[in-house]
Amino acid sequence: MTDRRLAWILLAPALAVLGGLTVYPALWVLWLSLQYRVPVFSISRWAGLEHYAFLAVDTRFWNAAWVTGVFTACSVALECALGLALALGLRGQHRGRRMALALLLLAWALPSVVTAKMFEWLYHPAGGLVNFLAGGRTINWLGDPDLALPALIAADVWRATPFVTLLCFARLLTIPADLYEAAQVDGAAGLQAFTRITWPLVRPILLVALLFRTLDALRAFDIMFVLTGGGPAGATETLTVYAYRTLFQTLQIGFGSAIGVVVFAFVMVVAVAYLWVINRQDQTA
Amino acid sequence: MARRPARAVLLVPLLLLMLIVGGCGERAGSGAPVTLVFKHAKILGPADPLPDLLQRFEARHPGVRVQSEALTWSSDEQHQFYVINLEGGSPPFDVMMLDVIWVPEFARAGWILDLTPFVPAAERDAHFPAAIEPAVQSGRLWALPWIMNVGLLYYRRDLLAKYGFTPPETYEALAAQVRRIRSGEGDPRLDGYLWQGKQYEGGMVNVLEALWANGARLLDDVGRPFPDRERARESLAFLRGLIESGVSPAWVTAADEELTRRPFGDGRAIFLRNWPYALDLFELPDSRVRGKVGVAPLPRLRHGPVGAASTGGAHLAVSARTRHQALAVDLARFLTSEAAQRAMTEGAALRPSRPSLYQDAALVARDPSLPALLGLMEKGHPRPITPYYLMLSTTLQPEFSAVLVGRKSPDGAIRDGAAQVEHLLRAITP
Repeated sequence: MTDRRLAWILLAPALAVLGGLTVYPALWVLWLSLQYRVPVFSISRWAGLEHYAFLAVDTRFWNAAWVTGVFTACSVALECALGLALALGLRGQHRGRRMALALLLLAWALPSVVTAKMFEWLYHPAGGLVNFLAGGRTINWLGDPDLALPALIAADVWRATPFVTLLCFARLLTIPADLYEAAQVDGAAGLQAFTRITWPLVRPILLVALLFRTLDALRAFDIMFVLTGGGPAGATETLTVYAYRTLFQTLQIGFGSAIGVVVFAFVMVVAVAYLWVINRQDQTA
Repeated sequence: MARRPARAVLLVPLLLLMLIVGGCGERAGSGAPVTLVFKHAKILGPADPLPDLLQRFEARHPGVRVQSEALTWSSDEQHQFYVINLEGGSPPFDVMMLDVIWVPEFARAGWILDLTPFVPAAERDAHFPAAIEPAVQSGRLWALPWIMNVGLLYYRRDLLAKYGFTPPETYEALAAQVRRIRSGEGDPRLDGYLWQGKQYEGGMVNVLEALWANGARLLDDVGRPFPDRERARESLAFLRGLIESGVSPAWVTAADEELTRRPFGDGRAIFLRNWPYALDLFELPDSRVRGKVGVAPLPRLRHGPVGAASTGGAHLAVSARTRHQALAVDLARFLTSEAAQRAMTEGAALRPSRPSLYQDAALVARDPSLPALLGLMEKGHPRPITPYYLMLSTTLQPEFSAVLVGRKSPDGAIRDGAAQVEHLLRAITP
């Protein structure tokens, strides 16, 4: 038996499971998206590309795409910047580091629905902690269409920053101290040490964190679903919330699948772009 | 040797399939005792009466066991659970608890059993009309009412009495009372009228109540949206006006039942629109508003009646695919019977769907609010009874929310909402 053949045999179970659990459902969703399927009304007929044509002019869909984009860009950028800053801070700190790490993990370990419920009360206009800290004002965080999305982004940043921090912190720990000592001897300290040593070494892992967080944020659902239900006025309705409402609440299986396919396409494009950047970096490194 | 990978590819799904099928193999064979599975939301309240009721049912039907399985807490997830299981073939339950707004949808889909042949007319008529109407589609009965709800106006009895007011019959009077009491009290932390304006089903309920309070409907008799546009416009403008004039705080646009119930319970609001469950919480021994809360019918606008509140609640239905039809129907009828509803009212502080129980001396002695609730329940309206209610509601919620936060004019929201609903209807009525 050749190695090649053995490799296939060993891979077969994994491929079968992946095929059964990922590829098959994905193709099925693609197939459904080309039909009108509303089981409640026993509607099942061919639609071709009509759902996609409707999506192209569907203002609710484009609003959701915009909300998803803004949410992803802002939350991921903040999470990465804050995560790195926290990791650098942790490295410099020796007393209470374990405590700080445990606290960080707590935020990350909470189920996102619990986080969302917690923020519901933090943001409560009349009795919430956030407004209390803002000097007892009654800022309408979740009920004002201009503030709701930033409020959700803040909640997501609170929840996901620790993930980035941990990844970066782990990388920072592996940078040998003598690199910095040597740099100091050469007269590079402070900012220069950061841009010349820390940043190039942390950057690859930060890219991986960025990839994970972006893919997560593009599929953001729990926080908006619990806190605002996509409101007010649709200001926080992401693509996945729209897909969920269509698929599971109003049972338009065909149309909902079309939204799912488009979300999948968006996520794929972003993922491939990231992987391309990461690969290129590996080659140049 | 060359064929082995292909065989492995086949084997793995087969093994998975066997695991899945094996898990379903517990179904009772002939002669073995029958197990009925009852799916329901968790019953909250001081003492869950359900285990005892199910035991009574089992005692009456020797050889039958009822397995009671609680659903997840959120209503959206319950709906999703039912849809996946009912659409997917043979559902693993026989009797199910449904939110009243799902009954027409499930009936239309053919997922639930037609109960008409099993339920005598007298048994039907023993429930509130507003509870039975949503369970009837094309003249057939599809579910039995179990728990009843209705929107109420809660008011601070002490504050109204202090200024010589009686509960307002019109929203104009409500606004005037709010202004008078707030200026008299001089407490910036005392809000006026709290209600639910978040973009969700509860927000939809509040908008519907504003429409009805002005004599407007959401759908006409053949299901076209907004038959009385001018009145609907006034209703939406009125809700936005509550916020603009400060009668209601701006944050009601993000508020659900609990977010409004708490400030009122802390004594920080004069009026509140909520369901009957809040009453029990306001009367708890450590409540700050204990003995100070009254309930009244929802006020009216210019063209509508007083007390045009939305009803809600839960029904029991039988799966169309149950293998124990007669027994499952018996269980649903038993649990919705007067005796069972009495036990539910005593133990779980839920409101029954049978008017007779609201004047039952023993029950009234335990819960003096029941007679007052009777009149309010009788005035209540069911939400539009149509299989596409959820579609309608999720489509219109962002439009109504946009009006409440001032993003859209009432006219604009009605126009855009009507256009979207008509688009939806075209798709499902080929």
